[in-house]
Amino acid sequence: MQQRVVVTGMGMVTCLGTGVATNWEALSAGRSGIGPISLFDASDCYTRIAGEVAPHFDSARHIPVKEYRRLDRFQQFALVAAGEAIDDSGISCPPENPYRFGVIVGSGMGGLATIEKGVEVIRTKGPSRISPLMIIMSVINLSPGMLAIKYGFRGPNFGLVNACASGASAIGEAYRLVREGCVDVVLAGGTEAVITSLSVGGFNALRALSTRNDEPQRASRPFDAERDGFVLAEGSGMLVLEAREHARARDASIHAEIVGYGATDDAFHFVMPDPQGDGAYWAMKQAVEEASIEPSRIDYINAHGTSTDLNDKIETLAIKRLMGPTANKVAISSTKSMTGHMIGAAGAVEAIYSIMSIKTGVIPPTINLDFPSPECDLDYTPNKAVSRTVDYAISNSFAFGGQNASLLFKRV
Amino acid sequence: MDELDKRVVDLIAEVLVDVNKENIQLNSKIVADLGAESLDIYDIIALLEDEFDMEITDEEVEKIQTVQDVADFIREHKKRS
Repeated sequence: MQQRVVVTGMGMVTCLGTGVATNWEALSAGRSGIGPISLFDASDCYTRIAGEVAPHFDSARHIPVKEYRRLDRFQQFALVAAGEAIDDSGISCPPENPYRFGVIVGSGMGGLATIEKGVEVIRTKGPSRISPLMIIMSVINLSPGMLAIKYGFRGPNFGLVNACASGASAIGEAYRLVREGCVDVVLAGGTEAVITSLSVGGFNALRALSTRNDEPQRASRPFDAERDGFVLAEGSGMLVLEAREHARARDASIHAEIVGYGATDDAFHFVMPDPQGDGAYWAMKQAVEEASIEPSRIDYINAHGTSTDLNDKIETLAIKRLMGPTANKVAISSTKSMTGHMIGAAGAVEAIYSIMSIKTGVIPPTINLDFPSPECDLDYTPNKAVSRTVDYAISNSFAFGGQNASLLFKRV
Repeated sequence: MDELDKRVVDLIAEVLVDVNKENIQLNSKIVADLGAESLDIYDIIALLEDEFDMEITDEEVEKIQTVQDVADFIREHKKRS
């Protein structure tokens, strides 16, 4: 029998701060977390701005002291976000039925900073001097692995690699595992820390990043006519997904229900979206059909909204195809205007933002939307948050590689 | 303890953060007394190699038991080079 799937725990760390409450306050106020790059010397890069997580982000001390220097930044973020999510869920760990508890963590590129250091060691000292921590700190599946160790979750456990959709895909696949009754609980989300010279240089070579270096907080401007690329950011979002009956049995407080997940691929190009937005449209449509609702019931779309020319135009097209004449009535926003683009963490963090819109009745704004682009003519909640009752919210994530993931959340 | 001994203790303490540094004595056995497991050992070796710009082979590691053994090994290596 299929299970209904609910969210009982949420946690995050972003450039806006640590914790869901801190983030939500910043988003509601329309605050940007973008600034000059400090994590490496970016003076030779075309792009010198990013959304960096501030030092001392582990304010609740979720990272065991011994592990601190043995983990790459992307793993540290996952521990902090997961710590908040598990605390929030009230699940006692290790659980009594550990094989019914899984972990799925998405990440686009893993421990890139660690790999860069390793390459430097090869050049300067030779391969025999590589740190024994290098492999541990760079592989993506160590994030779900270390969370299994920490919480004693012994069920399905894997890393999921899907570039900018990794976090959303992780939640979607976790949702299916719970729905099909394979497990009762999955700790699922995404994590990323690739503000490094290799990644900034690489995205610059693809002409994907904003170079508005003089105005960092105005650089991420989704749907605006003067947008010139995305702003790279880092962070993690983690959710506790749980079978509804399991959550009820332990009297857990429920944030929202997941009622639909769509997963498609454009099958079109390495990095460009399908010009008709077919893949994006079908991802949203699958999610809506799974929930058996009319698209017009959707109150809020947390857009992928990267601030690149193509994404914002084509996502708009896909939303219009999905919603028809009601597209003008749905509230849309891109929270990437404030957080930047956290790649593999983005989908997970934005899933939580979507749930927060349901819980609080606040639509966070798209900031820097000063000059609406002619091809982007829907209601993107420009510059100021608005109040609105949200019963259904969709979170979109689209990846380089053509992968699309849409998650549909419902008020409980 | 001389400066080199102290530096060795510092590096071991950096890895074995669960061990109170005052309990790391020259005659402490790194595995038996301080509880180091294999990854800890590799981690300590890598730190020593970086700090003293040397390479320690697995055969040499086999012979090391105590903190004193580590310090002596480094002194020996310094004399040789």
